[in-house]
Amino acid sequence: MILKSVAEQALNAALKTGGDFAEIYCEDRRSGAMGLVDGHVEAASTVRRHGAGIRVFRGLNSVYVHTNDTSASGLVAAARKAADAVSGDARVGDIRLVRSLPRNVHPIKEMPMDVAGTRKAKLLRDCDLAAKAVSGEITQVRANLTHWDSDVLIANSEGLFTGDTRVYTRLYVAAVASRDGDSQSGREAPGAMMGYELFTDRVDAAHTARIAAERAVTMLHAEPCPAGVMPVVIDSGFGGVIFHEACGHSLEAAAVAFGNSEFAGKLGQRIASPIVTAVDDGTLPGEWGSLNIDDEGLPTTRLVLIEDGILKNYMIDRLNARRMNMPPTGSGRRQDYTFAPTSRMRNTYIAAGRDDEAEIIASCPDGLYAKSMGGGSVNPVTGEFNFAVDEGYLIRGGKVDRPVRGASLIGRGGEILMKIDRVGKDLRLAQGMCGASSGSVPVNVGQPMIRVTDITVGGR
Amino acid sequence: MDRNAFIRRLLDAAAERGVAGEICCERGESFEVSVKNGEIHQYSVADSAGLGFRVLKDGHTGTASTQILDKDALAQLMDGAIENADLVESKDEQFMYPGDESYPDLNLYNPEIGAMDAAVKIDMAKRLERLALDQDPRITQVEDCAVFSSTGERMLTNTLGLHVSMKSALLGGYVCVVARDGEKVNTGMKVFFTMKPDEVDLEAVAKAAAKEALDGLDGAPVPSGKYRVLLKNDVAGALLATFSGVFSADNAQRGLSRLKGREGEIVAAGCVTLTDDPHRLDSAASAPFDGEGVATRVKAVVENGRLNTLLHNLKTARKQGVETTANAARASYAAGVGVAPTNFFFAPSDTGFDAMVERVGDGLLITELQGMHAGANAVTGDFSLAAKGFKIEGGRVASPVNQITVAGNFYELLKDVETVGSDLEFRAPGTSCFGSPCLLISGLSVAGKAE
Repeated sequence: MILKSVAEQALNAALKTGGDFAEIYCEDRRSGAMGLVDGHVEAASTVRRHGAGIRVFRGLNSVYVHTNDTSASGLVAAARKAADAVSGDARVGDIRLVRSLPRNVHPIKEMPMDVAGTRKAKLLRDCDLAAKAVSGEITQVRANLTHWDSDVLIANSEGLFTGDTRVYTRLYVAAVASRDGDSQSGREAPGAMMGYELFTDRVDAAHTARIAAERAVTMLHAEPCPAGVMPVVIDSGFGGVIFHEACGHSLEAAAVAFGNSEFAGKLGQRIASPIVTAVDDGTLPGEWGSLNIDDEGLPTTRLVLIEDGILKNYMIDRLNARRMNMPPTGSGRRQDYTFAPTSRMRNTYIAAGRDDEAEIIASCPDGLYAKSMGGGSVNPVTGEFNFAVDEGYLIRGGKVDRPVRGASLIGRGGEILMKIDRVGKDLRLAQGMCGASSGSVPVNVGQPMIRVTDITVGGR
Repeated sequence: MDRNAFIRRLLDAAAERGVAGEICCERGESFEVSVKNGEIHQYSVADSAGLGFRVLKDGHTGTASTQILDKDALAQLMDGAIENADLVESKDEQFMYPGDESYPDLNLYNPEIGAMDAAVKIDMAKRLERLALDQDPRITQVEDCAVFSSTGERMLTNTLGLHVSMKSALLGGYVCVVARDGEKVNTGMKVFFTMKPDEVDLEAVAKAAAKEALDGLDGAPVPSGKYRVLLKNDVAGALLATFSGVFSADNAQRGLSRLKGREGEIVAAGCVTLTDDPHRLDSAASAPFDGEGVATRVKAVVENGRLNTLLHNLKTARKQGVETTANAARASYAAGVGVAPTNFFFAPSDTGFDAMVERVGDGLLITELQGMHAGANAVTGDFSLAAKGFKIEGGRVASPVNQITVAGNFYELLKDVETVGSDLEFRAPGTSCFGSPCLLISGLSVAGKAE
């Protein structure tokens, strides 16, 4: 993408006015999207994004400049713009970059960009047929295939000159079930840091479509969820969004470094029930939130956040590492070159526990079984979170009873962590896009089935 | 390659291949500075440019875009867009537009914004932070405080003769504060946007953010039940934003809106008028032409409760045998053409906020709804959202409320609007910009503490 000599020139220019660290993130990304509605491909597009971001630190201050012009003169001009915003003693620069290659733990078999459009269209049609075969009540199926491959180059004034290629593939199926003027939808969206082999090696597209369709039909026949405070069993997989929203964001350095987190200053302290161990792992092969190197060029890590209820680690990027006087954890991420990176989650999950899934339900007082969660959000300062239940059932007499719709869970992260009284054995991960100050990035959430003694359930 | 030369070659190549071609070009500059404790915290400057290409072949469109105009890009765009058009199987015919004779002159570009010195904007951000901290000793921290500006231009041209362009500029900022009182903690936020830098009232912005944080400090849940609810203006605007898709003819034609085929019918309370105004100043959603190059116009989508029209682009209008409402939307040069409102809002009445509170009698004032992207179902209209606010007792705002959820259905809510307030406020503009005065809703379900 860019020559080492050009990167050296730009980094020197960026530090001309007293900056003490400079970084270039150059990216060339090709992405494709195809959408099918009601059995017909409706739109197909290809996008090429190309540009570079230059970041300069002086102490705890940071400056970010990005541009589409990655020619030598364009990069040096951008570096000068960044330097203009920094004032200090001029530094005589002589940066020498040393090229390194990261270990690739995500080998790609089939680049999705090179797969014929007709094959992709067939995959989407198969989803449509599979969803419609579930029930005559399925009135609408939407299936989208998205993929992108991104070449990144990261160089910094500490001598780093490295790069990586990231390849992502994801399928999204949404089905709508209707009856007597009422309608409900169900969604399922598996993805991975994989090429098109995702659909032979890991994900059965038709199965994905059936799950979405079955969910829509189930919810069509569901009654409104009763509101109140009750015990809630949250199933594995996307149920992990509770931990992501309610606790994960508050363990990111971006919140911790400024004290904007209920978990700031609590390393070594009990913040969760003793049966809870939670991990943020960027190294899992082929997983949606994994990376060989983070967006600051550091190898990603497996980070134990909470061990047996005790807070062990925060997720830390380079800039906040300076603020917190702690080492970075390979957690610096950004949507693309138009964003400065910050600390973000990767694959974040509650680890497998010792409880039997059947017993968790059987021993549960009357409450809610959240089989599939929707998204949610959190205020990291107060810890207040909310998220939606996409597929829920009442628990009555230790058994899963009738389905309920429109439920949402609200509470405070710190309180919920302490109230987890069961953790199942079967860990599953699920894919999401997480939005924050450095943009929208792919993350996995995950957990085994867990039970929370009481949560406020919103309904009608 | 020079941009103009690139555009000419691309359109010529389209003509040679026997397809209609359309180019959407964007160029822009943006600036943002955030401050913390009186110092620059983050500073970002960007220039950006991109080119989107759309072809029309056998009634189908395909798109491809690029941010680099190198020698490969020309072929990639042409081959990519044609391949994509060939893959489309939809029976809906797509169109391109040759242009209108005239376009409204909106004057959306104030050159003062592009010319503003960085030092002036840095100073604004520092002053805003200081003002927020000085509002009250319980405001212990400014979590985030930033000022930003952007200038941009969009050009749309095609082989049918369309050639339109526009420039815009906007200045904005926001402040998020944390209020603490003993163990109690609450946050507040205020955003501003304008085309007129000299009209920014930083004191008012700081005051609003601090007030939100301070007023809600003692929040507690209320018992679960059905309540009369006053939705604060920005909350009502957020709800409209979440469910605005129900007014899209594109969604209706796909069976994703219950307003399908309801034109001319009563869909809302008589006091409800919903206007789409693409000509409003101070909004990045305003434009003289839409995403297909059609001249924009102001229209009442819902008028005194009656649905006048859904929002259309060329494709949905032709399918339904009506005229386009010029609501073809392109979120960016790289995006395909969809349907979206421009500046879309509940038209205000002359009933002030205090009079609205009085009309509630006993109920709740909702000042914040969270989790819109998750707890709201755009197809069914159902929502169940975490909320904050205040009790309303005897026609007056009383103690703060938090840790509750408010649930309802947007279609029903439109009918349950009892009174519309006068305090129209717009949210942050994007592809669309939503606004509302406060709305009195006759009944919504609230989940809080057990009775």
